[in-house]
Amino acid sequence: MRRRRVDPAAGARAGALPEAIAALSRSLPSGPSPEIFRRAKFDRPEATSALWQLLFRVLSPLPAGNALASIALEVQARLVKSALCSQGYPRLALAQLPEDGSKGSRELLLALSWLLARGPVLEQMLAQTRVPLGDEMTVCQCEALASLGPPAPHMEAEGPVDVRHMQWLMGKLLFRWRQLVSSQQEQCALLSKIHLYTRGCHSDQNLGHLSVTEAEMLRDPEGGQKVSGAGAAQNLDLAYPKGLHFSCTPGMGPRTFWNDLWLVPRLLPGDWAAPLDPGGASACSLLSPLRVLLRTLEHESRRLEAVLAWRRSEPVFWQWMDTVLGTCAPEAPAAASQPTFLPWVPECGDGELELVVRELQTLEEELREAVERRRVAWEAKARGCGRGPEWSAARRASRETVEKELGALQRCWEQDSGPAPAHGPHRLVRREDGAAGDRDLRAAELIRTLRSQEACLEAVLRQLQGQCRQELAGLTGALPGLIWIPPPGR
Amino acid sequence: MLPADCSRRLVAELQGALDACAHRQLQLEQSLRVCRRLLQAWEPTGTWACEPPPEPETNEEDPLPACTPSPQDLKELEFLTQALEKAVRVRRGITKAGERNKAPSLKSRSIVTSPGTTASTRPQSPGQAGGHASDRRPTKGLRQTTVPAKGRPERRLPSVRDRTRAGIGARAPRPGAGLRNQHMAPSAAPQAPEAFTLKEKGHLLRLPAAFRKAASQNSSLWAQLSSMQTSDSMDAAAAKTQFLRNIQTASGGSQPRLSAAEVEAEARRLRKACSLLRLRVREELSAAPMDWMQEYRCLLTLEGLQTMVGQCLQRLQELRAAVVERPPLPCPVGRPPRASPSCGGGAEPTWSPQLLVYSSTQELQTLAALKLRVAVLDQQIHLQKVLMAELLPLVSAAQPEGPSWLTLCRAAHSLLCEGGARVLTILRDEPVD
Repeated sequence: MRRRRVDPAAGARAGALPEAIAALSRSLPSGPSPEIFRRAKFDRPEATSALWQLLFRVLSPLPAGNALASIALEVQARLVKSALCSQGYPRLALAQLPEDGSKGSRELLLALSWLLARGPVLEQMLAQTRVPLGDEMTVCQCEALASLGPPAPHMEAEGPVDVRHMQWLMGKLLFRWRQLVSSQQEQCALLSKIHLYTRGCHSDQNLGHLSVTEAEMLRDPEGGQKVSGAGAAQNLDLAYPKGLHFSCTPGMGPRTFWNDLWLVPRLLPGDWAAPLDPGGASACSLLSPLRVLLRTLEHESRRLEAVLAWRRSEPVFWQWMDTVLGTCAPEAPAAASQPTFLPWVPECGDGELELVVRELQTLEEELREAVERRRVAWEAKARGCGRGPEWSAARRASRETVEKELGALQRCWEQDSGPAPAHGPHRLVRREDGAAGDRDLRAAELIRTLRSQEACLEAVLRQLQGQCRQELAGLTGALPGLIWIPPPGR
Repeated sequence: MLPADCSRRLVAELQGALDACAHRQLQLEQSLRVCRRLLQAWEPTGTWACEPPPEPETNEEDPLPACTPSPQDLKELEFLTQALEKAVRVRRGITKAGERNKAPSLKSRSIVTSPGTTASTRPQSPGQAGGHASDRRPTKGLRQTTVPAKGRPERRLPSVRDRTRAGIGARAPRPGAGLRNQHMAPSAAPQAPEAFTLKEKGHLLRLPAAFRKAASQNSSLWAQLSSMQTSDSMDAAAAKTQFLRNIQTASGGSQPRLSAAEVEAEARRLRKACSLLRLRVREELSAAPMDWMQEYRCLLTLEGLQTMVGQCLQRLQELRAAVVERPPLPCPVGRPPRASPSCGGGAEPTWSPQLLVYSSTQELQTLAALKLRVAVLDQQIHLQKVLMAELLPLVSAAQPEGPSWLTLCRAAHSLLCEGGARVLTILRDEPVD
């Protein structure tokens, strides 16, 4: 691999590289010192474990917490390897590194740079740890009603279960859905009122009114009045693991603001020594939640500044990385198709694909029969009709129309639907005129998109139910002596 | 009775759905509690009512353990002094307006609280725009008006006032994290405390100055960062692409491997393809052609659909072959979220703050209701597929004798065809011998 010719101008910008690395180190959470980067270039072993840990932080899908910090280095290393593999990282040397942190810092540095080059990693990490000041609502449907990970171990069914129990569970589910609808309507009404009553208050003209979290801060700046005990404890468990951003904040509505704040300092590296007691006013800390919030905001602003500095001095860093790459030995070409490991995307696994494959196979069968039948019938008919020129012209026209229609159908799924709705939470803002900047979303448009999604899904559901009806009718209808009375129509 | 493994799977699925709903319900209820409390009259914080107004020295007598470093004390003192300064200013203003004497005393009590101060003082309810106090009509009370009703000791106030005058040192006033001064309604009879409600006085609220500053700095930095992204410098972008290419070639692979995200996106596309194809096939099969032209077109469409289904299947098989599932590592970090099938696309999570603008309560409610409806439909369709996969084979395999079979049929019909909402009736109609 050819070494890149060192740009003579780079010498003049010699100071820029340390700056760039320093900015990078400041913008990473609990970032390694710039020394680590330099040592890694020379593949020094002492830089290895810091880089493993950094990669782990970067690749972990959930915001960091104390739980993550306590994972052993070997486990972290293994998870990093599989995550990189699943992202399609091309270098094999990384997969072969020992997991005890004894060597490989240069490879790890390359991996980090690869991640940084592919996407806005730093910004995403910052967004992950943002404390939302507004009333947030997600636009996409991720996690809207997703299950909470592995099923709780309270499964009563260890043995055969009566099918009527299933009916009962289903009824329960229907009830819960109804309950959700009414609760949510109420919450929207209250939220809208709060926004309405506090309009004109906010210092930021763009926003115009307070959010619930801000109003709550004014009402209760010391956080002395928390939500009742049980609620508080639960909020801590649920609110944070649900992530702020990366894993799409569920739905809308403010979490109890102050309880979240007790958690935030755990993310602040280093300077927040005192473990805050989330349960109540901590005896050791005399700082009010407002002060905590201000510190968090300040901390975030510092990191934002670091990221901005990094962005400005990026090109120098990439040149340097090219030289680092140059010092590595070229790898032997890998086997053409390496299997992709997907340990961190367990849900996308075979389960879903299986269902789709089966559906398509049934469809294929059905089509094969139908097409055969119709083709035979058609040929018989066509033979009788003659073969004039209008005949073939008409056939050609039909063929073209059909091709066009099918092409349009194919484009429906091949292209991503228009401007893909962005993941991540958006701050709700009420404006009487509904005016919105070009980067903002309008509720009316979202409603349109959702309505079409709803119609689509309803069609699918109806069709599935119809299919079941036919099948069951086939299985049961032939029996004498029984009359099947369908339930009264909807 | 259903066989054990089938039961286990079905119960697990249904229970999972129930848990997800319960979790969401809990979140909603918590949020409802907060909102309701905000819309009611704001009460004074419990501890506040019993707290004597702090004097600068009380910091040491603080009931809380004195583990504060003394620089902390100084900071709090500064806040306090500042707040007291404000008190003097406001009081002078009020006295000029010729208010009653009650006001100053109450005010001084109210002012000492600024959120930055230690826990010994509890700040009060949101301040009104302090600066314009004299302009506003003597406002109804904030919760301070209730305070006199609680019979606060008045004797300490003169001393505080004195200290105020004395203690105004040469410290440069820092824009404190202070709430604005509350204004006491001098005329508003303390006897008839008017509570603060968001409805009447919400528009008078002001955020604390320090918070405003921090928040605006924060949002401007975010704005800078997003604008920087859109106008990404050519150098940086070119350098990055070059580096990525270099890494690719250095590793010997010419084609970048598929990442998990890409596989998922492809799978999502194929799922969508499947449902669209299925719908279309149904349409065509159920349409009754009028003439030979329509019949021909129908035939061609079906043949075309057949090819497309075949292509999709092939692609799916390729994907499956490319995915080798290792035994899943015990993943302590938990799972990343499962993207729901109707989630638009593999869009990168946006990191820049964006607004969602709505114009009326109705609109917000519609939006939220539709979101929920789509999520519920997703869940329902998933359950439908699972139930179909489990129950239909059972029904077809079971012996059509005995009441248990009828129960099964009835239940299957209800679950599969009516979404569990309605049940059909089976009437036994033995022929008369």
